Amino acid sequence: MKRYIIPVAAICLAGVATAKADDLKPLKVGFSLDTKESSLETAWVDYLKSEGERQGKVAGFNFEWTINVANADPTRQAANIDDLITRGVDVIIARAFDSGAIGTSIKAAKEAGIPFITFDRGSTSGKPTAHVGGDSYDQAKTTGEAFAEILKKASVHGKCIELQGMLTDINAVNRTKAWNEVGKATGQYETIVQVPTNWNPELFLSGLTNALNAKPEANCVFAASDFAFPSIQAALEKAGRWAPTGQPNHMWLATCDLLPAAVKPMEGGYIDVSTTWDAYSQAKEAVRVIIAIAKHEDPKCGPDGCLAKGRVVTPATIKDMPNLWSRDYK
Amino acid sequence: MSIRKRAADFLLQRGFAVVFAIIFIFFSVATAHFFQADNILNIFSAMDPLAITASGLALVVMTGRLDISVGSTAFLSCSIGALLIRDHGLNPVLGMLLVVGCGALLGAINGFIVVVLRVNSLIATLSTMIAYRGMALALTDALLVELPAPIRFLGNAKLGPVPINIPIMLIVLILVHLLQTKTSFGRQIMAIGNDVTVARKIGLPVDRTGFLSFVLSGALAAAGGVLTTIENGAVSPFLGDGLEFTALAVVVVGGVSLLGGRGSIFFGIIPGAFIFEMIRNGLTNLGADPYSYRLVGGAVIFAAMYADALKSGRYALRPQS
Repeated sequence: MKRYIIPVAAICLAGVATAKADDLKPLKVGFSLDTKESSLETAWVDYLKSEGERQGKVAGFNFEWTINVANADPTRQAANIDDLITRGVDVIIARAFDSGAIGTSIKAAKEAGIPFITFDRGSTSGKPTAHVGGDSYDQAKTTGEAFAEILKKASVHGKCIELQGMLTDINAVNRTKAWNEVGKATGQYETIVQVPTNWNPELFLSGLTNALNAKPEANCVFAASDFAFPSIQAALEKAGRWAPTGQPNHMWLATCDLLPAAVKPMEGGYIDVSTTWDAYSQAKEAVRVIIAIAKHEDPKCGPDGCLAKGRVVTPATIKDMPNLWSRDYK
Repeated sequence: MSIRKRAADFLLQRGFAVVFAIIFIFFSVATAHFFQADNILNIFSAMDPLAITASGLALVVMTGRLDISVGSTAFLSCSIGALLIRDHGLNPVLGMLLVVGCGALLGAINGFIVVVLRVNSLIATLSTMIAYRGMALALTDALLVELPAPIRFLGNAKLGPVPINIPIMLIVLILVHLLQTKTSFGRQIMAIGNDVTVARKIGLPVDRTGFLSFVLSGALAAAGGVLTTIENGAVSPFLGDGLEFTALAVVVVGGVSLLGGRGSIFFGIIPGAFIFEMIRNGLTNLGADPYSYRLVGGAVIFAAMYADALKSGRYALRPQS
């Protein structure tokens, strides 16, 4: 009898499982990428798919992705989004190549009754259903707080050189604001000189070189982004301050983003703390918003959109931090 | 001549030098570390790529033309070299020569468009500026191309206390200066800049000289890019971004006439490039507001240019008796 019960039970269980999968409501999502030329875009696509599967199951949706790439051409992107509308997707999510041009596509989607989410880069030409991006203010805030803790443990008062980004970029403005607010609030570090870099690596190098010369008392550096880390490294090497933590000539270093150029220096202990520009968190948040919109619920975004926070990473945590795209994607 | 008039004449004749001296003295007095040997060497070291690029651009400007593609030329040439070194193990020395060769080739394309196709140099190099940058961004995927560590160390190499890029810059500028002042090619450049019609009438090789000036401009832009790349340890998508305008400002502030036929490479470009880097360095030493950098830079360019314009055109500006 036993030999009949087990196969029958297995068949019944399989039947239940199939029925559950069939119960999942299909959710067709069109993702329009402006370019796919770096590991960040590849990571976004992978994380969106895996999160879609994970969160979708819980919410009762079976995500079906249609992804197209505009190759840095706004006209191509508009045509790609038209294709998505024609295919009858349920939701469109797009990383705009041109914030000023994406409004036309937002309007077209709305006219077709399709919700439109801008991703990472917002729109200046039309209001989407929702915006999902990174939280640059929170990034610098958490970096500053973690850095203050590190300095406190080492009994060091930080006299920092701040390498600012382009001051017409809202991310750069947010980061300088948050970094200095935390410095004042904790009293653990102060910014003794601010160096504008315009996000130009040549200015990271010459600016930091000049600042190290002008302020020999500086013992820490905050970089608003670490994409140009080789230039920071070159300036510190020139000044004889390129040494990992624990060595007497170590320059305490805090950065935002933890982009691929900064992974090795952090693993080597040269960067003390960073907060990620988090492809994983952003994808997770995007899927949450897509599901909320599909359920006709309020995604509960803030005034600047649904902003995903980064994660604080240190040399001690970088190896085990899950879903860290800058480390995992080459 | 009254003392007042003499002083006014002196100011007009030496407008740029006066502005230069005032800024230098101000930063020296106002900050603790500006007037130190290390810092002055820092300024020279930081200005090298700009000075080398501007020296090539100056040759084109002296013929009465413009080349605003120098930044993109540097970017594309260095991208090709860095990718070949990183991905295909190309010998770094060969890589550097290849970069300069690429720069010359890109300059030759500019020269062909301007000289053979007779397209205005501003329009021609504006289009190649966009095209070259687009090609470089496509090649690098708009990502940082890091150089292998042994090459990166060259960026901090020194001859005694002097960063090695300073003697390299001086050698390049002296060679370009000698080319401009001591060779028939240099004299032809000045003749074309003074009056192209006359130059053509007396049988000077106007087209060949114009073409070669673009080739040299491209090669020197790439050479400047090589220094930038080695110092930074990587080619970034920003390499050479806006360089064309800074280099042009250096050329003009250094006394090279935009109309052509006037100027000096060594005695114009070095102080011209120095003043730009000195402003950035001095403002950092002062701990100035980050927003003030562009304002002060712009004001200094205006002051130097205005003094230069007064010097050049003062007699014409006076009411005729």
